[in-house]
Parts: sequence; structure tokens; C-alpha cells
Amino acid sequence: MIPELGHLALIVALQLALLQGVLGIAGAARGSNAWMAMARGAAAGQLLFVATGFLALAWSFLVNDFSVMNVADHSSRFLPVEYRITAAWGSHEGSFLLWTLLMSAWTIAVVLLGRKLPADLHARVIGIMGLLSFFFLAYILFTSNPFMRLHPPPANGSDLNPLLQDPGMIIHPPLLYMGYVGFSVAFAFAIAALISGKLDETWARWVRPWTLMAWVFLTLGIMIGSWWAYYELGWGGWWFWDPSENASLMPWLAGTALLHSLVVTERRGALRVWTVFLALVTFSLSLVGTFLVRSGVLSSVHAFALDPLRGLFILVFLGILIGAALILFAKRAGAVKATVGFGMVSRESAMLTGNVLLLAALATVFLGTLYPLLLDALDLGKISVGPPYFNAVFVPMMVPVLLLLGIAPWMRWGGESLPGLVRQLRWQAVVAVLVGMTLPFAFEAWRWPAALGSTLAAWMMLSTISGLHARHRATGGLPLAAWGMGCAHIGLAIGVAGMGLVSAYQSEKTVAMQAGDSASLGRHEFIFRGAEEVPASNYSAMRGTLELKTQGREPAILLPEKRIYRSSRMTMTESAIRYGFTGDVYVAMGEPLPEGAWSVQLYLKPFVGWLWGGALLMALGGLLAALGCRNQGARP
Amino acid sequence: MTLWLWLAAYVVVALALLLVPLWRQKPAPEGWRWQTVGLLAVFPALTIGLYFHLGAPTILQELALTEAQSSYDVEGMVTALEEKLKSTPDDAEGWYALGRAYIAFGRHADAEAALRKAATQAPKDARIIAQYAEAMALGQNSLDGRPLELIREALEISYEDEKALELAGLAAFQKENWAEALHYWRRLLKLLPKETEQHDAIAQAVRTAEKKMEGTP
Repeated sequence: MIPELGHLALIVALQLALLQGVLGIAGAARGSNAWMAMARGAAAGQLLFVATGFLALAWSFLVNDFSVMNVADHSSRFLPVEYRITAAWGSHEGSFLLWTLLMSAWTIAVVLLGRKLPADLHARVIGIMGLLSFFFLAYILFTSNPFMRLHPPPANGSDLNPLLQDPGMIIHPPLLYMGYVGFSVAFAFAIAALISGKLDETWARWVRPWTLMAWVFLTLGIMIGSWWAYYELGWGGWWFWDPSENASLMPWLAGTALLHSLVVTERRGALRVWTVFLALVTFSLSLVGTFLVRSGVLSSVHAFALDPLRGLFILVFLGILIGAALILFAKRAGAVKATVGFGMVSRESAMLTGNVLLLAALATVFLGTLYPLLLDALDLGKISVGPPYFNAVFVPMMVPVLLLLGIAPWMRWGGESLPGLVRQLRWQAVVAVLVGMTLPFAFEAWRWPAALGSTLAAWMMLSTISGLHARHRATGGLPLAAWGMGCAHIGLAIGVAGMGLVSAYQSEKTVAMQAGDSASLGRHEFIFRGAEEVPASNYSAMRGTLELKTQGREPAILLPEKRIYRSSRMTMTESAIRYGFTGDVYVAMGEPLPEGAWSVQLYLKPFVGWLWGGALLMALGGLLAALGCRNQGARP
Repeated sequence: MTLWLWLAAYVVVALALLLVPLWRQKPAPEGWRWQTVGLLAVFPALTIGLYFHLGAPTILQELALTEAQSSYDVEGMVTALEEKLKSTPDDAEGWYALGRAYIAFGRHADAEAALRKAATQAPKDARIIAQYAEAMALGQNSLDGRPLELIREALEISYEDEKALELAGLAAFQKENWAEALHYWRRLLKLLPKETEQHDAIAQAVRTAEKKMEGTP
């Protein structure tokens, strides 16, 4: 009964989404207050019915209703109850339902918080979001129905992918999707502006808080995803340049560029066309990312062909959406063009340069991610594009961005004298280089990634802090948005320091250990106390016990596990980590060896935690900036 | 039936969210009557049409039917068997089947009584004796005493009886006689068809016992 009620709710929501789209856009065009009001009502109904559908699916998982095919394929009786609920978005079907739910939630936020917007702009934005929801609902109902029934139902389900049975994976997709979907607001605003031809400083002021919030969620989502990969995949990597990671990095880079370009448009009225373009690109990349990860095209381009309807549906939609957006852009961009100029050396030009570099870096990721897929799809052979490519191409592109990040906030709008700028920033530059070049001597050897990372980090930190200080002295206070900027830039600095240090000084060792054996790595000694079997409801684990002794620290016990999941017969490595401010000690169980011995992998990850700490600070910065938008009177 | 009431409720809520804003406009917008009629006609029809096309309108009856059948079968079978055994109390197989059904329902005392009758009728059937031992052990929550004697008895009759081997291994395991437990279970493992749940479970038990044995000096 419940699954059928969920199915019905989605059917009702589909029609409401279409009405929301048509009535919103047509109402704005005809100036019909009635239609615009009906579009808002439809948006409320859409949220109500999509939420009903989502709850019905979650309920089916909770009560083990295996007559629902999605439940039978992605859950089992042995699955702990918290993962049974989260399995609701562990599947292709469920994750699109989650996407739609978040989409309708963002729509309602726009309906409620945008009441002071001009009525036609408001209705257009709601209408465009309605059409986007309509597509997703149609996609769910016609190609990826989570409420397909099985008759007779199987006695048990085939369990959730063990990789997804983890707290990190519970919150990672919703956060990521909150980010992706949030960018649809900027997209809808951009389309609405192109239709009406009205794009000015007030427009940018409306869009910025929405974009900031979406960016905050996406940042957190990527952070959690990276942290999850670090502790769950068993070898302590934190970024793999894997296509599914790149899929989330691309909208993040575009979104970061958009945030900055919005500031220029809001303050100076400049870069309007560029801002609109970025708003279109950011959301399009969010869709491309979802398509890449969810269509199955990544696991194998040929898996895609097994269910061509799904992939084709998204491809056609992407084509229509991006095509229509770009055509509209090409035809209407002239109407919104700014006449505001700025000097060669000015904050505008610095931010634009940073933006262009971000997009160039994005293009390298795009190429490295899609080119191998394209070759494979055309049967032109398989190539693998991995870290060597990205490190060689992406990193050099980002270095000038980080350098500019320190300079731009010091520059004046409109124009700035170069010699004055040099005078203001020379000490920060000298100190940063000194710190960066000498800091690696504190470690076992001088290595260039550490020197580069710490130079850049010191530069960003010094220039940001001294810049905020100078501004504080000049104006007697700092607006919330400036705090947000400082927080985000310092967060990035901390992250960059962590990246440099961990990639320069991480070390690892694989040893065969029997009970009582000891091994050492760096300043740490590991004593293996043996392994024992630990059963759980849906897997059985061999748990190793290692005693960790570090000079100057309390000894610790690390309990890494090797799990075998019952239903899927998959083996999973559950690492054990001692977290620390200056670095993590990371242990994973390898393979069992004869005579009760085990191969054990030991890793030292210096300063790795700074990555996530930095990302957290960046997200906090985004949040402060978003709150700052409201304080400055975001709504006219 | 309830499903259709829900559908009606959904449609009413959805239409209210659309029509109330329309009706509340002052002055009344041009063509509001036609818009109302159009929505009232199209929305419910489309909802029903799409549901018939995409959904499984008959699934509820089908599932209800299967459920009724399966519960009817077991309960009915037990009642029928009880009735039948009243007239043929010397049917050992009948008492055996009834005993196993009682075990499945958790009625251990009834199971023990039924299996005692089966064992009296067929005192040389290892399968029945071993099952009787299990029912008794479940009732008293321990294999010690009479159940263990019955298991030995069953093994004397047939050293190939699966239930007897399993229980004998379990009894030894509980007394931490790892080697003895392994003897029975390894023997049992050879008898069981591979790739079955029971085979996997016993293989797992064998591995546990092997570990335990290595652990003791």
C-alpha cells in the first residue's frame, strides 16, 4: 500500500511541476497575477508530494518491503536499521528522488524568501525551476521508477553495497546534491534575466546568497566524500582524480568562479555577461556530473548501453537544456551587456584573471575526465588518465590563482597603481617565501611540494590577514562578508599547506606480522597482538589489534578490520586511524598469510587533517558571506 | 479501494493548491471558469491514466492473495494433520511432520509430545530420534541429559544422520571439546549438498572450531 501511495504522489507531483513551469513563465510573460500565484501553489504542492514519495520509499526500506524491486536490490534483512533508511538514496532511482526532493525544497525556499523580488522575475525563476523538476520527475517515473513492484516478492534482498554502509556515505550524497541543486537557483535567475533583459547590480545581489549557500553545501559534500575515501578505501589517499570526484570538482570550480564574478557585478555592475555565462555553466556542469556518476557510464561506457533509455533521456535533456541556455545567451547577452569599464590593474581585472584561470583549470579536468570516456565509447581504445596528468596540468594552473587570491583583496575597484601595490605587499611576499623555503628543513628532507605548498599557504594567510587588518584600521570595522572572505581564503591556505606537506612526507610500509611481532615506521612502533573473528549482523570481520607506541605520546590501540559481507561476498577493509593535529597514523589489514600471520599496511599521513579542516573553514567562510549578504540589505 | 480514496485525496489537495490562488484573485481574472473546469477535468484523468500506465494497480490484491494463501497453508496443514492423527495415531511420519511444524511455531512442549509419539512408533529411525532430542533440548534449553542420550542412540542406529551429527557436534562444542565437535561436523559437511545455506553455516562452524582448537595449547 505505502509504495503505491508514494508512486501516486510522484505522479501528482509530475503534473504540478509542469503546471508550475508553464504557469510561472507564461504568467510572467502575460503579467497574469493569477497564474503566477498558481505557480507558487504548485511549487508548494510539488514539495508536499515529492516528500510523500520519498518518505514512502524510505518506509519501504525500513519495513523490508521486498515487493519493491528497489528495496530487494539494495537492502536486506540483515542490514542495520540506519543503513536501511539511507539505502533509500543508495540506488540510482533513490538518488534521483533525493535530487528532486532537494530541488523542490530549494524551490520553496525561493518562493518564500523571494517575495520581495519583482513579481515577474520571481515567477520566471519559479517557473524555470518547475521545468527542471518536471524533467527529473519524468526521468524518475518513466525510466528509473523506484516503486517498481515484484510479484511474488523475494524472501530477502541482495543487500546494500558495503562501500555505502558507512556514516560518511550517509551524508555525502545529500550534501553534494544540495550543492548541485542549489546552483539551479543561479541558473534560473540567469535565464530569467536573459529573458527579461534586466540584469544589474540588484540582480547580482539577489543571486549571490543562493549561490553562496549552494557552494557551501557542495564544499562540505566534497570534503566528506574525500574524507570517506581516505578512511574507507584502505590506503589513505584523499583525492584520486577519479571521474566521480572530478564530476563534483568541476561544478565547484565553476561555482567558485561564479561567486567571485557575482561580487564584481554586484559592486561595480561589470562582468555581467560573464557572470550570467558562469551561472549557466555551473549548473550545467552539476547536471553533467550527476549524469556521469549516475548513468553508469563511468563503471563502463558499455554498461550505459545496457539501459540506453536512461542515458539517452539525460543526454537529450542535457542537450536541450544547455543548448537552449546557450542560444538564449547568444541572442540576449547583448541586452544585458555592461558599459562599466575598469583599468588593467584593478580588483575587477584581478578577479577576472582568477576566474579565467579557474575555468582553464576546469577545462583540464573536463578533458581528462571525458576524453577517455569518449575514446572508449567510440571504440578507439582505452586510455587511463590519472594523477600524473592532473598533477602536471591542473596544479600549475592553480598556482597563479592562489597568488592572485592574496593580491586581489588589496586592490582598489576601478584601477590601482602597480608600484603602490608592490610596496604594500612586499613584506608579505618576502616572509612567505622565507617560510616556505625553510619550513621543509624541519622535516626529514627538503622536498619541493612541501616548499611550494607552504610558500603559497603562508602568502595567502599573510596577505589575507594583513589585508583585513588594514581594512579594519581604515574603516573601523569589518562587514560579515569580509570575515567570510577571510575565513574562506585562510581555510584554502590551510588546505594547501596540508596538501603540500602530506604529499611530500607521507610514508608507508607493508609488513607481515604474527602475534607479538613489531614493526616501526618513523617515530612510531607497531606491535601486532593478533587477529580475531568478530561477527556482526550482515558481515563477519577479522579484527587485528595493534599497539601503537609513539615517543612522547600515550600508547594507543588500533583495531583495523577486514570484513566479508554476507550477501554480496564482498571484502572490505576498515582502516584504523589515530588522528592528530600534525598527522594521522593509519593502519589497514592486508591479506591473511600462512600460520596465522597477516600482512599489515602502515601509513603515516602528516598534516592530512588540515585538508578537511581547511575545507570546513572555507564552508564556514561561505556561510558568513551568505549571512553578510542579508545584513547588507540583500533585498531591496 | 483505500488506494482510490487516497488518490482522490491527493487530487483534491493538489487542485486546492492550484485553484484557491486562482479564485482568490480580485478582480476575478478573465477565463477563470474555463481554467477551473479544465483543471478539474484533466488533472484527475491524467493522474489515473498515468497510474494505470506506470503503476501496479493490481499489486495490492495479488500480494494480499499470496499472503492469505501462504498463511492459510501452514496453519491449515497443521490443523488438518492434528485431525488426521486423531484417527491414525500410529503414523510415525505424521507425528514427525507435526513435531517439526510445532518447532517452527516455537511450540516446544507440543513438539516434544508429538515427537515422543513418533519415536515410540519408530524406535529405530535415527532421523526421528534426533529430531525428538532437538525438541526436548529446545524445551529445556540444554542438550545435557536425556537429549544427549537420544543423540547417541540416533548415531548408533545411523552414523549418517544429519540432525544427529549436527547436534552431537554442537554438544561437544558447548563442552569445549573442539576436536570432537570437528569430527562430527566435518563428517556432516561431506553429506550436505554444496552451495546451500546449511552447508555454509556448518562450514562456518567448522572454521570457528578450528580457530578455537588452534587457540588452545
